[in-house]
Amino acid sequence: MTTIQPNDGDFKNLRSQDRPAEPSVDLFVPKPLDATVREELAAPAPTFWKEARERLFKNKGAVVSLVLLIILGAMSLIGPSMNEFTYREQHIPHSNLPPKVAGLEWLGFDGKDVNGVDQYAQRGVETNYWFGTDEFGRDLWTRVWKGTQISLFIALVAAFLDLVIGVIYGGISAYYGGRIDNVMQRIIEILTGIPNLIVIILFILILEPGIRSIILAMIITGWVGMARVVRGQMLQLKGQEFVLASRTLGASDSRLMRKHLLPNVMGPIIVTVMFTIPTAIFFEAFLSFIGLGLQAPLASLGVLIEDGYDAIRSFPYKLLIPAVVISLVMICFNLLADGLRDALDPKMRK
Amino acid sequence: MNKKWVYRFMAPAAAALILAGCNFSGSGDEASGDSEGGSAEGDGNSAQVITLSEQSDIPTMDSTKAHDSIAFNVLNNINEGLYRQNESNDVEPAMAEKHDKNEDETVHTFTLREQNWSNGEPVTAQDFEYAWKRVMREAGPYNYMLVTAGIKNAEAIMNEEKDADELGVKAIDEKTLEVTLEAPNPLFETLLAFATFLPQNQAFVEEQGDQYALEAENVLSNGPFKFTGWQQEQGWTLEKNEDYWDAENVKLDKAEFVVVKDPQSGANLYETEKVDRVKLTSSLVDQYKDNDGFTNEKASGIVFLRFNHNHEVLSNVNIRRAVNMAIDRDGLADVILKDGSTPLYGVVPEGFYTSPEGTDYRELNGDINKGTAEEAKKFWEKGLEETGIDSLTVSLNIADTDEMKKVGEYLQAQLEDNLPGFKLELKAVPFAQRLEIEKAIEYDLSLSTWGPDYADPMTYLDMWVDGSSANRMDYSNPKLDELVAEARTDTDLSNRYKTLLEIEKVLLEEDAAVAPLYQRGNTYLTRQSIENLVIHPAGADLSLKWASVK
Amino acid sequence: MKRYLIQRFAYALITLFIIVTATFLLMQLLPGTPYSNAEKLTESQRAILDAKYGLDKPVAIQYITYIGNLVQGDLGYSFQYQGRTVMSMIGDRIGPSALIGLQGLVFGTIIGLVLGIISALRHNTAVDYVSVTIAVLGMSIPSFVFAALLQYYIGVKLGWLPVALWENYQSTILPSLALSVTVIATVARFIRSEMLEVLGQDYVTTARAKGLNESGVIWKHVIRNALIPVVTMLGPLAVSIMTGTLVIEKIFGVPGLGEQFTLSILVLDYSVIMGITLLYSALFIFVVFFVDVLYGLLDPRIDLKGGSKA
Repeated sequence: MTTIQPNDGDFKNLRSQDRPAEPSVDLFVPKPLDATVREELAAPAPTFWKEARERLFKNKGAVVSLVLLIILGAMSLIGPSMNEFTYREQHIPHSNLPPKVAGLEWLGFDGKDVNGVDQYAQRGVETNYWFGTDEFGRDLWTRVWKGTQISLFIALVAAFLDLVIGVIYGGISAYYGGRIDNVMQRIIEILTGIPNLIVIILFILILEPGIRSIILAMIITGWVGMARVVRGQMLQLKGQEFVLASRTLGASDSRLMRKHLLPNVMGPIIVTVMFTIPTAIFFEAFLSFIGLGLQAPLASLGVLIEDGYDAIRSFPYKLLIPAVVISLVMICFNLLADGLRDALDPKMRK
Repeated sequence: MNKKWVYRFMAPAAAALILAGCNFSGSGDEASGDSEGGSAEGDGNSAQVITLSEQSDIPTMDSTKAHDSIAFNVLNNINEGLYRQNESNDVEPAMAEKHDKNEDETVHTFTLREQNWSNGEPVTAQDFEYAWKRVMREAGPYNYMLVTAGIKNAEAIMNEEKDADELGVKAIDEKTLEVTLEAPNPLFETLLAFATFLPQNQAFVEEQGDQYALEAENVLSNGPFKFTGWQQEQGWTLEKNEDYWDAENVKLDKAEFVVVKDPQSGANLYETEKVDRVKLTSSLVDQYKDNDGFTNEKASGIVFLRFNHNHEVLSNVNIRRAVNMAIDRDGLADVILKDGSTPLYGVVPEGFYTSPEGTDYRELNGDINKGTAEEAKKFWEKGLEETGIDSLTVSLNIADTDEMKKVGEYLQAQLEDNLPGFKLELKAVPFAQRLEIEKAIEYDLSLSTWGPDYADPMTYLDMWVDGSSANRMDYSNPKLDELVAEARTDTDLSNRYKTLLEIEKVLLEEDAAVAPLYQRGNTYLTRQSIENLVIHPAGADLSLKWASVK
Repeated sequence: MKRYLIQRFAYALITLFIIVTATFLLMQLLPGTPYSNAEKLTESQRAILDAKYGLDKPVAIQYITYIGNLVQGDLGYSFQYQGRTVMSMIGDRIGPSALIGLQGLVFGTIIGLVLGIISALRHNTAVDYVSVTIAVLGMSIPSFVFAALLQYYIGVKLGWLPVALWENYQSTILPSLALSVTVIATVARFIRSEMLEVLGQDYVTTARAKGLNESGVIWKHVIRNALIPVVTMLGPLAVSIMTGTLVIEKIFGVPGLGEQFTLSILVLDYSVIMGITLLYSALFIFVVFFVDVLYGLLDPRIDLKGGSKA
């Protein structure tokens, strides 16, 4: 390790095992490294992924989250086509109908508005809108799932681009080291000094609103965290024997990186990506909420929440449904990321 | 030991500092108590105190720089110009006790009445001269109002060809003001009620320097009320001006204004009787439409579609007429907006501008380009044939406000459903950008708004003249230009009004140059005990002078 | 130590300078005029206004002027609120933001610590699960969603607290609460894992072995050692509070900086957007710097000589 960064703006990267084990306050000195033990640890490398998978599946929260995420993801794809409506089709006479599902009346899906009047009966509407309709008479079921789809899409693409940039940048920085590393680290240091949300807002302002701009604005500062993780991991690995061995055998730089370094830093990378996704979902929703979002009639969860917030008193379902969906997505991603981190954390491998 | 002392001392001190810095509107404010007392019922002579709400703070209290309705409202109630809008929206002499004109109506001489500023200084003719010249000197946002009024040299000053001192306004003596016009102007008196024409006390303004009008104590009043308190972003207070010349007709003792940005909480404040009047948004209308205090007030702003007249397809009149007819305005106003807006089939809104004979402009001109979806389709097919295409994809330039986005989405569905082959893409951009795009005429369709500057149909009609800065769509019809020029100097009022009606017909019946959509409206919850709160269509929209609590 | 401090400080200044420059250039790219009566502005009028505000000069000149004024603490005038300086607007607005921000931070940290500590001490019991659930919910539910729900249920339905008028102290409770949610969750999670780790350390076992009573062990060794790294959380927490104020002030009608920022964005009030951006950035940079130094002081294991190889 070169310099220690006690704070890097992201506590997740600063886990206690990164700190050197020098004498503590109580003058206890950690046990000296035992070379044989290390060999033992390094031995089960081929079964690492299998082990990690087993550990992950033991974590109930993570498994439930994974299943829920798969369901939510599937719904976001098939949900919009589960009934005859499209996300943009308007039907003015059916505006602002509360949710109604036959058989789920006891859950509040009874088609009654805040005053307890059954709007379906009053207006003679035959069709049941499962999540109700908005003021244009658009089906909210379709729109919520379409919105989930768009939110997930934005988050996944943003996370993926963060990953690509971060891995390349961090990889180069760690691999070449020396002056290159120094310069690249100074750049990162300055970038982390910038409050990212403000930067995102400013960029959205000058770009044309739309999915592309949102993604672009989010990756401007988003890749930095990934770059740091990759660099840190690579630095640790660089000094290890198998890298040295491979180099001695004459492996080229790119081969070394691809074959030896990258696979070994996959764990932390996956964990970082998993934490990036909910952050991206949050940012997208945040931007939509303050009115810097997508082009209508496209809707993301953030857009739906913003629409719903305006009508919170008269039509609370417009807020509650997308709010529940976005919260579920975020919870699942966080729990799954937690589970993955525990599963992939080498410290847990005993 | 030392450190601990620092902690003990510093923590509460810091907390106190922060608390002191956070400007609660209610903290230590003796006013909040009696405003609630004002709505107490049944005690016979209830206090003449009301609490109103606005949705944002006053941007500026400097009348030469004011540019929005909130500032205009306050200025209208605390100041008095030469003329004032009365309860029936006509102008009547206010600071002007006497108004003489020369033969060709180009030189106007005003004799001012006795009235003091709130610091005891008399209001003089110099105050008017100073303020008007200041508008020109500082390029106040409404300096073109002096041009519209036709005051001598105003246009040359605005174009920087002449100096602001050469403006055609002169104080003959303390109480006599002489205004010279370029040409006779039938609108002159109407315009004089506008805030830009208010007087300012030179000595006071200069003494305050760059602090002028930034705090309540840095403004003077000469109107029905005094501006006695202003807490930024919280609200302000108006109190009856006992020295006002017409004070005996002012019944209200005090009007509190609170800034409530969120309409939801506004409604809540109304229900808990903290505020006597709040504006509702459409999502709240459903909930309160049966409330006793629910009122629906027409406003004079209009919302319409501009067509780019350079566009190879949109330049076709049948296509434009098809678009006009394909939009169901009733659904838009009653289902989507629900905020008191009403369908509009003309560029001059309904209910404010009557002919000299007393008939409303809209009634006389009727609904133009109102049609069914079938008719729309006929024009559409005809237009397609003439332009030789079978489908059309255009984009709609809209501001990204909630209202405009909703309207945009509605238009998209309406046009795509009713005109086969029509595809509309929405391009929502920040308001300022929408204007830039519009001014550069880099759009296909643009969703625009217009508000009147003065109470006359002309404010909606002369903007379509070729080369006008408000035209913004390269529309040009020499016939319309001629009619506007004619109406500008015509002092025969009923003939002039006929010309005004004709202008709209050329614009819409002949050319379908724009597609008017709706006339704005406002929905309010107003305490029923308040009487004679006067709402004006143009300029300041609220007068408290005649208001009272029952 | 001194060299490290100077180095860190230099970086902070460079970062701030870059932010100023970048923000300035971004503002140049913004479309439209900042003048509030843009709808009826004619070209000649606009030219006069541009000249008045110096917007007709080349960008380089404007930039130098801005930096020059900035050094003297002058952020220029607002376009929206004519005649008001950005400085005075920030001065008016910073109080409410600081109040709800600090309240949220302090309340959130205390509750978070309590939850985290209890959770670690009662590891794998029902208490632990509950507090972990709270933490996960708090981390996951976007603060504005939570704020909207708080407003609806506590403000509107139950009517316990004012909905959105900045009237008295009660008005600060809901916004502070909404802000504190993320803080609670972050702190609780962090302290829990720190505690669990410290609990497994040899010196804790030793302390127990040498006969210290349990509460002594917990207080003297575990909590104290687990608390030190919490300092590092100040950075991210300050950020989450700042982010939070942007929407939460809008929701609860708090006349603070965040509310002004979102408002200015919508009307393109350049000078105010820049001023608040700079303030937020400077605050953020300062917190990071402060945390670094503080952490170095608190944890003797951290070597602040800088550049030393471990």
